[in-house]
Amino acid sequence: MWKRAVICMLLAAFLGGCTKGQKEEQKTEIRMGISLYRGDDTFINNIRSVLETKAKDYEREHGIKVILDIQDAKGSQNTQNNQVERFISLGCDVLCINPVDRMDASVIIDKAMTAGVPVVFFNRQPVEEDMNRWDRLYYIGVDAKETAVLQGQMVVNLYRKEPLAVDLNGDGVVNYVLLEGETSHQDSLIRTEWSIQTLKDGGVPIEKITGGIANWERSQASALMEQWLSEYPDTIELVVSNNDDMALGAIDALEREGIREMNVIGIDGTTPGLEALESGKLLGTVSANKELYASVIVELAASCAMGEVLPKEYPLEDGTYYWAPQEILIHNAE
Amino acid sequence: MIGKRGKLLILVYIICLAVLFLMCSTDLIIGEPEKEIYQVAVIIEDVGDDNYSNFRKGMDQAAVEFNADVRFITLYDKQDNAQQMELISREQQDGADALIVAPVDEGQVVGALAEKKVSVPVILLDSGLTGEEVAGVVMADYKKMGQKLADEIADREGEGCRVLVLSDGKNKTAASRLFVEGAAGILERLGLPCHMVISGEGQVMKSLLEAFGDTGEGPAVILAESPELLAEAAAALAEGPSFLKQTEGLYGRGNTMQILNYLDRGLITGVCVTDGFSTGYFSVRMAIEAIEGLRGQAPMEMEVYYIEKEDLRDPAYEKILFPIE
Repeated sequence: MWKRAVICMLLAAFLGGCTKGQKEEQKTEIRMGISLYRGDDTFINNIRSVLETKAKDYEREHGIKVILDIQDAKGSQNTQNNQVERFISLGCDVLCINPVDRMDASVIIDKAMTAGVPVVFFNRQPVEEDMNRWDRLYYIGVDAKETAVLQGQMVVNLYRKEPLAVDLNGDGVVNYVLLEGETSHQDSLIRTEWSIQTLKDGGVPIEKITGGIANWERSQASALMEQWLSEYPDTIELVVSNNDDMALGAIDALEREGIREMNVIGIDGTTPGLEALESGKLLGTVSANKELYASVIVELAASCAMGEVLPKEYPLEDGTYYWAPQEILIHNAE
Repeated sequence: MIGKRGKLLILVYIICLAVLFLMCSTDLIIGEPEKEIYQVAVIIEDVGDDNYSNFRKGMDQAAVEFNADVRFITLYDKQDNAQQMELISREQQDGADALIVAPVDEGQVVGALAEKKVSVPVILLDSGLTGEEVAGVVMADYKKMGQKLADEIADREGEGCRVLVLSDGKNKTAASRLFVEGAAGILERLGLPCHMVISGEGQVMKSLLEAFGDTGEGPAVILAESPELLAEAAAALAEGPSFLKQTEGLYGRGNTMQILNYLDRGLITGVCVTDGFSTGYFSVRMAIEAIEGLRGQAPMEMEVYYIEKEDLRDPAYEKILFPIE
């Protein structure tokens, strides 16, 4: 008899403990903690702005209040880890993280797993090993190889159509310089490799003059380009840049030198990049559909927060990854 | 074999364990010290935070220091007063301990406070109104800002220069209204001809071209009423070099990245700015003080600075324009 009593009491105690807080009412509010690797990155800033609009659209459409806590990690993984801790302590339902160091997402994942808060990573893909640790981790980004191939393809298409539009001096060789992003960013390596490979495969007779790492930054790219223009005067015909900001930096240097005849190509389709494209300073760029990109982040995060089935219109590869579609944007495209 | 007494002891032991487990899980024994987190909602008059990037940095800093949970809320539609009033009511219902509001129509907000529709402390941003209902005001003196710019225009452009005041014609916000009042007062006193040019969003170039054509009096100085109009006027100058010839100078207020870029490129001649970081920081601090019972605080007036291109890299202004938390 006494054994039964003890078992019943223990069961009651454990059940009481386990069911604590499980009685969930229908949520009327979602709180998303968003941490950006650097708020002054033009592409990220564009995404942030669209994210805010999409969150408001979601709020209007579903009648569910969406609170966005947006923080800038300013390039520090330590700061980002602290931000994640604060998001969790503030009761965020879901985290949207643009990791500072894609190799070091494990701390964030640990904290999120302990708190049971799902994470939607974007723009910088954490390593596969980390992504496989939990089934409530997601990644939204663009396929870096596809981006690079599209960037190379835009020059190949132009060269096939009008060789002298690319080989500006008509000597049968296209001399190019290369502006690369951060060395630790996987997109930088892939963009460089596949963009150049596509040019070669497409039959463009390219020859590399020089290249350098400008860490995605306009000012650094501008300084490098200025140096190259003085070292290799009247030689460079094409500037291949891993992103629009660095392409704009190269254009700044060209403008200072009064050079108008040089092709510059970028990636991202940022707002200043598109302005330069419109004015013809930038030959072309590869742009992800930012509206869709941000929509997927908000919809996916909201579904996670509400405990709903993930939206079918955004199919996830392996139940984890979503690749945003991209397109080539070229000056005076017909 | 365990005796009856032994069994009883085990039972008591297990019951004690179960009770301890329950007490621990409900924080009865090892209760963490309760740290009160104040909920503060910031509701601005705009759809985006372009004009509030430094403000947000200050706001975040204060949130951490004063243990506040600060929510920054923008409108769905620009300058929609009804929406702002709805958001004020929603945030209050959702448990905000204090509100910081940049009013679309300050009269409406103060009216709601007077009618006791808002029961939590309200801090107003850039409002000329004070009173018992308002827990605090953090503002820049926009009248002084307009006066300062008018003085700079007179000094720089000299006597006889014509000034086109670019306005959206709505005069809804206190900032715009006071700014134009201040500038017009000085321009009138100095005898500088001043024309109002009313322009809708995206229509600045057209409106200015019409204004230049209508007056037919040659070049003029443009003074933009709001940061949005200033940025649009600068973009118009960047696009039309011929238009640039007719413009002796472009002046206004605001320190968005876009405006600072145009200033750096020489398309904007001079701007008046305030310390957005401090505004954000002090408004949250004021809200916390109001929650804690300190009412009727004196309005906090933020300093106004006039800067030109060469001041952008001056360390004194760098701290204001590009604050680091």
